[in-house]
Amino acid sequence: MWLTQVLINALVLGCLYACIAIGFSLVWGVLNVINLIHGSFIVLGSYLAFGLYQTLGISPWYAIIVAAPLFFVLGYLLQFLLLNRVINAPVLVTLTMTFGLDLILNNAMIYFFKADYRKLTLSPPMGSVSLFHAVVPIDRLIATVAALALTGLLYLVLRRLRVGRAIVAVRLDRDAAVLMGVDVKSIYAVAFGLGAALAGCAGVLMALVYPISPLTSSTFLGKAFVVCVLGGLGSVSGALAGGVLLALVEGVGTTFLGPEHATTLSFVLLIVFLIVRPQGLLGRKGFE
Amino acid sequence: MFGSKWVRCSVLLGTAVLAAASWSATASPARAEDVIRFGAPLPLTGPLAPEGIKQKEGYDLWAEQANKAGGISVGGKKYKVEIVYSDYQSNTPRAVQTTEQMITQDNVNFLFGAFGSGAAKAASTVSEKYKVPTIAAAASSVQVYDQGYKYFFGTFTPNDTLTTPLTQIVKAKAPDVKKVAILARNDLFPLAIAQEMEKSAKANGLEVVYFEKYAIGTLDHSAALSQIKSLSPQWIFITGYVNDLLLARKQMVDQEIKAPVVTMIAGPAYRDFIDSAGKSAENLTSASWWHPAEEYQGKDVFGSTSNFVKLFHAKYNYDPDYGQASAAVCGALFQLAIEKADSLDRDKVRDALASLDVVTFWGPVKFGANGQINSLEPPVFQIQNAKPVVLFPEAIKQGDLQLGVN
Amino acid sequence: MTRSNAALLVLLVCLAALPLFGGAYALRLGTIACMYAILALSWNVVGGLAGYPSFATAAFFGFGAYATGVLLNMGLPLSLTILLSFVTSFLLAGLLGAVLLRLRGHYFAIASLSLVEVLSELVNNATDLTGGGMGLNIPLASGSGIMADAMFFFYAMWGILLATAVTVIAVSMSKLGFGLSCIRQNETASGMVGLNATLYKSIAFGLSACFVSAAGGIYAAWVHYIDPSDVFDVLYSVKPIVMALMGGLGSPIGVVAGAFLYFGLEEVVWRNYIQIHSGVLGVLIVLLLLFLPHGLISLRPGMFRRKAKHV
Repeated sequence: MWLTQVLINALVLGCLYACIAIGFSLVWGVLNVINLIHGSFIVLGSYLAFGLYQTLGISPWYAIIVAAPLFFVLGYLLQFLLLNRVINAPVLVTLTMTFGLDLILNNAMIYFFKADYRKLTLSPPMGSVSLFHAVVPIDRLIATVAALALTGLLYLVLRRLRVGRAIVAVRLDRDAAVLMGVDVKSIYAVAFGLGAALAGCAGVLMALVYPISPLTSSTFLGKAFVVCVLGGLGSVSGALAGGVLLALVEGVGTTFLGPEHATTLSFVLLIVFLIVRPQGLLGRKGFE
Repeated sequence: MFGSKWVRCSVLLGTAVLAAASWSATASPARAEDVIRFGAPLPLTGPLAPEGIKQKEGYDLWAEQANKAGGISVGGKKYKVEIVYSDYQSNTPRAVQTTEQMITQDNVNFLFGAFGSGAAKAASTVSEKYKVPTIAAAASSVQVYDQGYKYFFGTFTPNDTLTTPLTQIVKAKAPDVKKVAILARNDLFPLAIAQEMEKSAKANGLEVVYFEKYAIGTLDHSAALSQIKSLSPQWIFITGYVNDLLLARKQMVDQEIKAPVVTMIAGPAYRDFIDSAGKSAENLTSASWWHPAEEYQGKDVFGSTSNFVKLFHAKYNYDPDYGQASAAVCGALFQLAIEKADSLDRDKVRDALASLDVVTFWGPVKFGANGQINSLEPPVFQIQNAKPVVLFPEAIKQGDLQLGVN
Repeated sequence: MTRSNAALLVLLVCLAALPLFGGAYALRLGTIACMYAILALSWNVVGGLAGYPSFATAAFFGFGAYATGVLLNMGLPLSLTILLSFVTSFLLAGLLGAVLLRLRGHYFAIASLSLVEVLSELVNNATDLTGGGMGLNIPLASGSGIMADAMFFFYAMWGILLATAVTVIAVSMSKLGFGLSCIRQNETASGMVGLNATLYKSIAFGLSACFVSAAGGIYAAWVHYIDPSDVFDVLYSVKPIVMALMGGLGSPIGVVAGAFLYFGLEEVVWRNYIQIHSGVLGVLIVLLLLFLPHGLISLRPGMFRRKAKHV
C-alpha cells in the first residue's frame, strides 16, 4: 500500500529534480562548462517568486513569465561579458570562474535577503488529491506538470527554432558549426542564457515546495550533478530519466535502508554509472 | 641563467611571508581606556548563518542597553561596552582561529562562545589556554563542559532537561500514547536531542517504533514519512532546523499523516517557523531553553522578561526566541559578574561568574561546578491558536496539552 | 634539480624560521598556510602533472582526519596514527585510482567529487565509531603551554609540507614524472609506447592522497574536534585547484606560491569584510582568472611558458 505512495512520490520528486538539472545539463553539454552558479540562480528565482507574491500578490504561475526573460538576460550578459573571455581555457579555469561568480552571487543574497529561511505559503493552501490509492499534493503536482512543460518547450526550441538548431550544431561539432557560419560566441551566450532562464523558472517552482534560503543553493547544485550524470549529459529527456531514477533510488533506499543511507546510495550509483555507463541512461552524442 | 635570481626571489618571498605574519601578529588596534571589549565569533555565512544573525541581534541589543545605562561600572568608573565580531563561516577551525585572533590581536577582555556544542568546545580549548572567561550562548551537550575547564560557562542546560519534562507531560495527559517515531537530522544538536528523546521515551515505558536519521540537505522526507505513517505511531518526534521542519511538516500535511502528539525541535520556538507553517503549526509541541511567554523579574540590565521582549521588539520589530535571548543574557551575565567583581581582572571575573546566583530575564542563573547552568527549568510549550502556550514549568504554566495534530 | 625547485626548498626553509618572528597566532596562520600548501602540492601531482582534474582532496583530508581521530581515541600515539593514515590512504587511493582514473575529463571530476560525498556519508552513518553528525572529540595530544603547542603543530605541519615538496620534486625528476607528463599530453600515445598508464596514474593518485591524509590527521589532533561537514568540506577540494591556478599549473614553486597568495588574500579579505568576505574573494578570483590566466608563474620574465593542456 505505502509502496505505491513511495513510487508516486518518487515520480513527482523526479520531475522536480529534472527541473533543477535541465539548465545545468544544457550548459554543460553545449558549452562544456560546469556551471557552479546554477544553484544560486535557482535560489534567486525562488526569491523573485517570493518577492512578487509577498509585495504584489503575483502568483508564482505568472512569476515564471517574469523570471524567464529576466534570467535569460542575466545569463546572456554573464556569458557574453565574462565567461566568453575564458571559454577556450582549460575546463578548470571556467570551473573556477563560475566558482568565483557563485561566491559573489551567494554572498550578495545572504547580504540582501539574510540567510534565514522564508516560505512561500499560498493562501488558501492547495491541498492534496488521491491518485491510485496514494496522496499527491496539488502544488507538487502542478510544479511537476510545469517542469514537464518547460522540458518539452526546451525540446521544441532545440528542434524547431533556428537558434536551437544552431545550439545543437555547436554541441555536435563546434568547428563545423563555425564553418557553416554559426556565430559561436553568441550561441554560447544564448545557451547560457537559456540555462539561466531554466534555473530561474526552476527556482520559481521550487519556491512552492521548499523553504527559501541562499544556503540551499549547494543542495540544488548537488542534485543537478547527479541527475545530469545519471541521465546523460546535455540530453533533455535524459534529465527527466535521471531525475526519476535518482528519486526512485532515494525513495526505495530510504524505505529499506533508512533515510541516512539514501544519499550514500545515490552517490554510489553515480560512481557506478560513471564507470559502467558514462554516457548516462539516455545519453547519446548530440541531442535527440 | 635565472638561477640566482630565482633563489633571491624565493628568499624575498619568504621574508615577505614572515614579515606579513609577524606584522599581523603584532598589529593591535589602539585600545581606548574606558572600553570593555567582548569578542563574539559568529557563523554569519555557511549553514548556521540564520543562527549567527540571531546571536548578533542579541549581543547588539545588550550592548545598546548597557551603554544606554552609562556602561558597566568598575571601581566607580563607567566603561562602555564594545563587541568585536567576526564571521567564522560555520566552520569549526575558523572558530578556533578567530578565538585566538580575538584574544591575541584584538585584545578582547572577555569572550562569547561559538555557536553549537562542537564549535564551542573546540574554541574553548583556546580560550582556556589563555585563561579568558567565556560564556557560550548555544552549547548544551554535557561533553562540552566535562573537560575540567575553569573559564568556560554556558547558559543551556543539558539536552535531557528538554525531553524528560516533555515525555512526562505527554504520559500524564495522553495515556494512550504508546508508540513513538523519531526522525532526526544527522547533525550535532538535532541528533543529540533525538537520542535523548529515545532514552526519555524508553525510561517512561514508551515503545520507539522508528528511529532514523536523515542527511543534512535532504530535499524530500516523503519516503521516511510514508513509512512512519504505516507504523501509525501516536507520537511523532522530528528534529532539525527550520527549513527541515517546515519541509517535513508540509509533507506530513500533504500525506495526511496525523497523530495525537507531534513534537518538533527546534522549529516551533522560532517566529519564522510559526509564520511560515501557518495553520499546520497548530498543536505542535516543542521545548527550548527560554520562551518570551515566561515571566521572570530579573536583576540584570533588562529587568523582567517582558521588558526584554518589549525592548527587543522595539529594536527589531519582531519577538525574540531563545537564540537571541541567550546571546543577550550572556552579555547581561558578564555585566553582573564584572560589577560584582568590581574589576576587569579575568580571574576575578571568572570567580564572580562561578559564584553567580541571580535571577535574570532568562530565568534563575547559577552555574554548576563544570560551568554549565543548572538552575534553569526549560519550558515545554505548544502552538495553540497560532501562539505558543507554555505547558511547563508549573510556575509559568499558561495552558494544558491539546491532543491531535492534523 | 631545476632552479625553481631549489628555490622552493629555500622558501620552505625560510618559512621554518617563523617562530623567531611571531607569536602563537602567527604560528596558527603559518600552520594553516602549510596545510594549504600541502593540499595544493598534492593536488598538483594528479591535477597538474597527470592532467586529471581531481576533486578528491577533501575525501582524503577527511579520511585522514577521521582515521587519526578514531585511532587517537583508541589510545594510539599521534605519530603512529599519522603513519597509519598515510599508508592506508596511499593504498586506498591507489586502488580507487585504478578504477576511477579510467574516466577522463569531466567524468573523472564528478567521480572524484562523489568520492567526497560517499566517504562523508559513510562517516556520517557510522555513528558508533565516529559520532556521526555529532562529531568526534579528540583527546589533547599535548597539554603543555600555548607556545609549545603552537610550535609543535606548526612544525608537524611544516614537516609534512617539506616531505610533500621533496616527494613532488623527486617525482617530477623521475621516470614517473616524465610518464605523467606523457599521460597529460597524450594518454593513448603513451600507452602505445609501452607506458603502464594505469599503474602510473594509480601511484600519482595515491601520492596525491597520502600527504593530504597526513595533514588531515595533524589537523584533527590540532583542532580537537572534527565533524563530517567540516573535514569533508568540498572547499578543501576546490581551494587547492584555485591555488594551483593562481600559481601556475604543474610547477611546484608556482603552486606553493599560489597557496600562500590565496591564503594571504583569504585572510586579509576575511578580516576586513565581515559580511561580504566571500563575495570579495569571488571578485578577486574572477579578476585573477581574467587578467592572470596562467598564474603567478607567467610573471616569470622571458622564460618559456609551460602550459598545462587537456585539463
